[in-house]
Amino acid sequence: MEVLTRRTLLVAAGLSGTAYAGFKVLPLAFPPSVDFTALDDPPGFRAVGGGDFSSGSFNAFVGLDGNDTEVEEQLVSEQDVRADLCGALYGTFDPDSSQIPIAAFSDYYCPFCRVQTRNLAALAERNIDEIAIKWHELPLLGDASEAAARAALAAGRQGRYAEFQESLIRTPFVANDGYIEALAESIGVDHDQLLRDIASETLTRELQTTSMLARVFGFVGTPAMVIGRTVVVGQISDRQLFSIVEAERAENWTAVC
Amino acid sequence: MGLLAALFITPQVSVVNAASTEVQRSPAVDVQLLTAENSIASGASSISAGLAISLADGWKTYWRSPGEVGLPPEVDFTGSENVANASIIWPAPERFTAFGIQNFGYSGEVVLPLSIALEHPGEAVNLTAHVQLLVCSDVCVPLDFTFLLNIPAGISEEAPLIDRDAADQIATYAARVPSEVPSNFVSNIEAYIDENAQTLTVFSRGGDVFQAPDIFPEMGGYTAFGAPDIRVGSRGTSVWAQFPILALDPDSTDVAITLTDGDSAATLAATLVDAPIPAPFNLQVEQTSFAALAWIGLFAILGGLILNVMPCVLPVLSIKLASVVSGKSKTQGEIRGSFLASAFGVMAFMWFLAAVTFGLQQIGFTVGWGLQFQNPGFLALMVVILSVFAANMLGLFEIALSSRLQTRMAASGSRGGYAGDFATGAFAAVLATPCSAPFLGTAIAFALTGRAIDIAVVFTGLGLGLALPYFIVAAYPRVAQMMPKPGRWMVIVKVVLGALLLVTAAWLIWVLSGVAGSTATFVTVGLTLALIALICVKRIPDLPKWAGIVVLATAPIVAAGQFADRNAVDLAAIETEWTVFDRAAIARHVSQGDVVFIDVTADWCLTCQANKLLVLDRDPVVSALASNGVITMRADWTRPSEDISRYLASFGRYGIPFNAVYGPGAPDGIVLSELLSAEAVLQALSDAAVRDVAIGN
Repeated sequence: MEVLTRRTLLVAAGLSGTAYAGFKVLPLAFPPSVDFTALDDPPGFRAVGGGDFSSGSFNAFVGLDGNDTEVEEQLVSEQDVRADLCGALYGTFDPDSSQIPIAAFSDYYCPFCRVQTRNLAALAERNIDEIAIKWHELPLLGDASEAAARAALAAGRQGRYAEFQESLIRTPFVANDGYIEALAESIGVDHDQLLRDIASETLTRELQTTSMLARVFGFVGTPAMVIGRTVVVGQISDRQLFSIVEAERAENWTAVC
Repeated sequence: MGLLAALFITPQVSVVNAASTEVQRSPAVDVQLLTAENSIASGASSISAGLAISLADGWKTYWRSPGEVGLPPEVDFTGSENVANASIIWPAPERFTAFGIQNFGYSGEVVLPLSIALEHPGEAVNLTAHVQLLVCSDVCVPLDFTFLLNIPAGISEEAPLIDRDAADQIATYAARVPSEVPSNFVSNIEAYIDENAQTLTVFSRGGDVFQAPDIFPEMGGYTAFGAPDIRVGSRGTSVWAQFPILALDPDSTDVAITLTDGDSAATLAATLVDAPIPAPFNLQVEQTSFAALAWIGLFAILGGLILNVMPCVLPVLSIKLASVVSGKSKTQGEIRGSFLASAFGVMAFMWFLAAVTFGLQQIGFTVGWGLQFQNPGFLALMVVILSVFAANMLGLFEIALSSRLQTRMAASGSRGGYAGDFATGAFAAVLATPCSAPFLGTAIAFALTGRAIDIAVVFTGLGLGLALPYFIVAAYPRVAQMMPKPGRWMVIVKVVLGALLLVTAAWLIWVLSGVAGSTATFVTVGLTLALIALICVKRIPDLPKWAGIVVLATAPIVAAGQFADRNAVDLAAIETEWTVFDRAAIARHVSQGDVVFIDVTADWCLTCQANKLLVLDRDPVVSALASNGVITMRADWTRPSEDISRYLASFGRYGIPFNAVYGPGAPDGIVLSELLSAEAVLQALSDAAVRDVAIGN
């Protein structure tokens, strides 16, 4: 329990006395909002130093192995992704649209991903004219991550991706078959169809496209974003995000496509 | 020998013959495998190893139960020679609450002790350890490491059997592994899960006194618990905790509780009980000295006194003073009596609040100061009373009843008069509630977390402060008689007072529309106007007139509640500058180097409106808030909000206005005083912006 004393009152009075001087240097105390660094690869893209490391300093990315030892067939190669980077990142988009596309990479087992996913979804809803989000599942954290990612993408095939995503990030879970079934029932997707989609080749293709994108951009962790032609790993403020969006719009980001 | 072995270098890792491998580094974490043994003694059936993890600033890794989300480290010894099995022995975790998510794990330095059983006791061991580690800051990076470590059998000439350094490191952290048997620290833990599986309550008596206990429940694979409410019993010998259950693992009924306190820790299977476990009688509070109590009382009096000059009290005081100057020549005794009655009205209301606070405290609620103004019925009642008063003041009607009643009072002694004065005092106190002047928040916070005596002192102080003008007039009735003689100016005073009341009524109507929506507001205003009209009309027989007045006066109170639009859009003027308050986002912005300015406000909070008008919406503050790198968040408390109440409570505050500034220089926030000044805001902004240490790689 803090008790105000005469001393603290005096100190407070002294502080407010010197405050006006403090105000004079205030504008100098704030750093500029966004610093871009051009990337060598992929050409035309640039990075913003979110987070406190540069992705290059980690070892080449491996990811946590699941217990699945069977190696799945590579349906998508790095060349395929590089040949149409924008298509791989953003799917179909209208280059003349006022919306700047954002590719958001996340994993259901990463704590900050949940926060960023919620925040991005809310931002996209509020600023429908400015940004459009393309969600990418990058399940780096083992089998359960993979299962959750597949289930979410499969729910997307039935138009329930957002609801599924919301349910997955709202609660802790082990994405086993029973959980997926219960979840499917609760948000009204057809369970049999869901299972068919989970095992489908198109879904594998989608996941592999994402993982190849992660390789091309050197993402060693989640969450990560590509906004137009700007790569962001880690955290940025909403304000910074929108200043990047503005920059992309002003500088015609589609030049990289 | 060791040197030669070190030359066999594989592309990835070097095989080391020693008690530890080389350190493998990454920007987030450095990892090393240690063993206590330099060599295997004959007959030894197990060895002690450890995974030494050194995390960079801001990075974390996880405990065996990571909390809401995350993954624990895994060590796989597949491919090792002479290893039967191996397991991690988990040291007690710390709790992280980053981004509003509860995680349990480790930061900084930790060694995870490994117990490795040998297939063939006494023979050499070749360890191949595949380590999978999830480390997170604001990014999660999964990392793989492979360690190779050969430990020869037999006693070697060059090295002692045990590597003292490695053994010490492992032992230090092995000592932090929770004990799994009952001990003096904690011998039994009770747990209760309520019937809807909404909460888990945990209770334990310790052998010693608990200082700062923390509790980590585990219940199957995917039961998850929210942020706990942990309370230490009054003498410190028991601990009680309650956790919201976020998700329940249907296959698990066993609850394992890990209880930590400083260096002590225990993990025990909880004894499930069938009856709810009551919270300890008191929240743990520091014993307050008499001096502190006196200070608090003084501040409470000061706070109460300041309330008198607040716009929501002044009109009432004005009415009271107007009654003195209303031309009726009162005797000194009458004036003294009436003002004393008013003073006691104030005190009575404050004591009533004290009783309510005490009651709420017992039930475990945190009361919001001024929350009664969030009740549409209460607001409607206020609107009716103030409008009628204003109409009377502006001369729309004479309160015939009042003169008649006064005559009657004069006839039947002055008891009715005193009752009226008493009500005036109580009314003044009720109106004062939304104006949380400086020190008031502090005083109330103190009262809520304190003992019964604290509550009594605080509210008595507030009452004394608020009633001080009445007491002064009671003591020196001359003060009231120094009022000028009645004359033409009286009309002006009446009009000014009426206008004041009208403004207050209009403000209450505005608040009502914010709280209950437009329908309820129109109904209330309409009924109030009808009531005033009915009162003004002269030629209606008494009985129906009074019946109508009673009906019309009570109708708004019911109607406001009935027509209240629960989803009314907040009236707060949405400025693009203010983002919606999101507690979880504060830390995120700060870690980006941004400064975050928090404003908790409400339509019913007059001081908040004043702060907005006089400081926040004016230069120089408005441009400072608009500058790059300043995030402004506004929390609207016009309607009750659990989140906002909890946020305020975390600062020990229960009233608004509340303003805080966060930044790299003030990650925990600088709390501003309730009456803002431009200088204080700017000072806090610049203090919060200054990074004490530049972050480099």
